[in-house]
Amino acid sequence: MVHVEIAAEELFAIGPLTVTNSMVGALLASLVLLLAARWFTRRSGVVPGRGQSLMELPIEFLAGIVRGTGGRRWRQFAPFIFAIFLFVLAANWLSLLPGVGTIGLVEGEGEHRILVPFVRAGAADLNFTLGLALISFVAFIAFGLRANGLRGYLKELLIAEPAYMTPLLTPIHLISELSRVISLSMRLFGNVFAGEVLLATMLALTTATIFILPLAFVVPGVFIILELLFGLVQALVFALLSMTYITLAIAEHRQHGSGDHHSSEALEHDTAAANGAA
Amino acid sequence: MDLTPLAAGLAMGLGGIGPGIGLGIGFSKAMEAIGRNPEASGTIFVPYILGLALTEAIGIYALVVSLIILFT
Repeated sequence: MVHVEIAAEELFAIGPLTVTNSMVGALLASLVLLLAARWFTRRSGVVPGRGQSLMELPIEFLAGIVRGTGGRRWRQFAPFIFAIFLFVLAANWLSLLPGVGTIGLVEGEGEHRILVPFVRAGAADLNFTLGLALISFVAFIAFGLRANGLRGYLKELLIAEPAYMTPLLTPIHLISELSRVISLSMRLFGNVFAGEVLLATMLALTTATIFILPLAFVVPGVFIILELLFGLVQALVFALLSMTYITLAIAEHRQHGSGDHHSSEALEHDTAAANGAA
Repeated sequence: MDLTPLAAGLAMGLGGIGPGIGLGIGFSKAMEAIGRNPEASGTIFVPYILGLALTEAIGIYALVVSLIILFT
């Protein structure tokens, strides 16, 4: 039987701050990102070398998508989207390294002997994904406020299109805004956690009897490749959904004459040209 | 008799029906669109991934519920 723990296990506590093994995973992911960024920017040039090209590949890919779908003000929030994408991607892929989730201390006695791993996938803890989702939530509210102003934003939020429908539609609208946090966090958590459980189950199934033991070298490998794909897709989905929410918050559905409209005209042309080229 | 595993299995199995149908419809439509207009595959990709994620979220809810039933 596979042992599954929904909550991340506590490793040690510094005062009131509890350090769980998922936090270690997330910290490792950010450390890897920081080191990689430092390593590649120190030796970067206008003509990219081999390593720099490799590092620029995901950025180019994502920049293409953000430029294509982010509307005319994509430059404002592009760094935020890139950061979310790279962080979730690093956290997801780090969790597939050998040793993560398997090396740890055995705690408990008898029936309750369980392995408490030192490192666990960052996103396999709801706190991690909920934190990211809250950051995204604050970001799209902040971008909406900045683009439309407080009055415009509140009007957009609280007053429905035919004004007499407001009592009916506004609660639905508010709930749908809030449910974005839940759906964003639950999606990432569910996927990564289910991936971990899936890998453990496959290993447990193939090592159950001696006759199918050779399968234990093949079957989990196939699923690890699948998890590589899922990690990428989930990082992309989280980043793209955050971007969609931000663009929805920025977009003005009703024209209430803002001066910002004209200043960004040039950028709009630039984006249109880039779209045409792509 | 402990019916907890049955509850978890039912939650996941029944919860998988809807997203399965939805994903199938979405994917078939995306393939149809690419088949009709292969140049548009780049444009179709992002909305397709987003729709996939939104549809799949329902299945993930079922998964989370069944995991909670099983392990808490």
